[in-house]
Amino acid sequence: MPEWIEVLLRSFFIIAGLFFITKILGKKQLSKLSFFEYIVGITIGDIAGTLSIDINMAISHGVTSILVWSAVLMLLNVLSLRSQKFRSLVEGDATVFIKDGKVMEDNLKKENYTTDELLEQLRKKNVFSMADVEFAVLESGGDLSVLLKKQNQPVTPQDLNLQLEPVKEPQTVIMDGKILDEPLANAGLNRGWLKSELEKIGVTYENVFLAQVDSDGQLTVDLFDDKIKTPSPITKPLMLASIKKCQADLEMYALATDSASVRQMYARDAEKLNKMLETLKPFLKY
Amino acid sequence: MTVGSQVKQTLAALKSISANLQTYALQSKSEEASRAFHESMLLSDEIIKDLERRIGELERQEPQYKGF
Repeated sequence: MPEWIEVLLRSFFIIAGLFFITKILGKKQLSKLSFFEYIVGITIGDIAGTLSIDINMAISHGVTSILVWSAVLMLLNVLSLRSQKFRSLVEGDATVFIKDGKVMEDNLKKENYTTDELLEQLRKKNVFSMADVEFAVLESGGDLSVLLKKQNQPVTPQDLNLQLEPVKEPQTVIMDGKILDEPLANAGLNRGWLKSELEKIGVTYENVFLAQVDSDGQLTVDLFDDKIKTPSPITKPLMLASIKKCQADLEMYALATDSASVRQMYARDAEKLNKMLETLKPFLKY
Repeated sequence: MTVGSQVKQTLAALKSISANLQTYALQSKSEEASRAFHESMLLSDEIIKDLERRIGELERQEPQYKGF
């Protein structure tokens, strides 16, 4: 057998074998690998590479070695899933660098971190002032996680006491001019609805590059021809405005009428509309 | 424009709002939104009833403007 054919066969089978081993080992992302897993991965790759080229090496030796390395890695994975103590031994613990806004110098020293490196890591997290940090911890993967002091954290709707419409994921119903039936069904809609919505804005679905429908059934479309302007969904703000108008109308009638009982009725109804506006605002605003 | 026709306009607008609210209540996938829309729809229906009664009274007072 010519040597190149042997190399070809070896390479082919080793690639196939490695493919299955990596499938079994799971799909942890490369950046999330612990140092040990990283080293094991490189070593397995190295053995496989050497084995596929070096025809003087017995296949059985190489395969045994690869199997042992992967088996140890799998064993460690299983064990660290089972036991927390084992996990901290293998993967290491997180080290607290800043606590209550104070730097823990001893922990820095323990992890061989210089003050400059700490500041650099903080800057990478967009923190330029030590004073902003409440808590920082060096994760076992080598990343620094930073908790800012409450007054330096970004404002959330909860901080502002805002009530917002709960967001559900939109469904993409037209892609490249083709109607996608499954997402349409997921949104509880059908082709008839879609066609009538498209008719409202005056396009056929063949001209639509992308169309999405949100959880309230509002349709947003993008056409192939970007020169044509389509209306953005305005039905909801429009309805909010028309409720406001009705409310103002009722108040006006209340002022205009002479009969006390009728005035009371109008005022009560205007109050009801006001209440309605308050409840609907978070759902109709964009 | 008489008061009667103005009230009729408001009634029409409210009816459209109520219908829209019903559609939203049925279409919405979020339970919270759906409930808010439904409650608002019930409220708007109450107001519609009030206005319809009032339009009846107005038409009795000004029979010359009767009808839509």
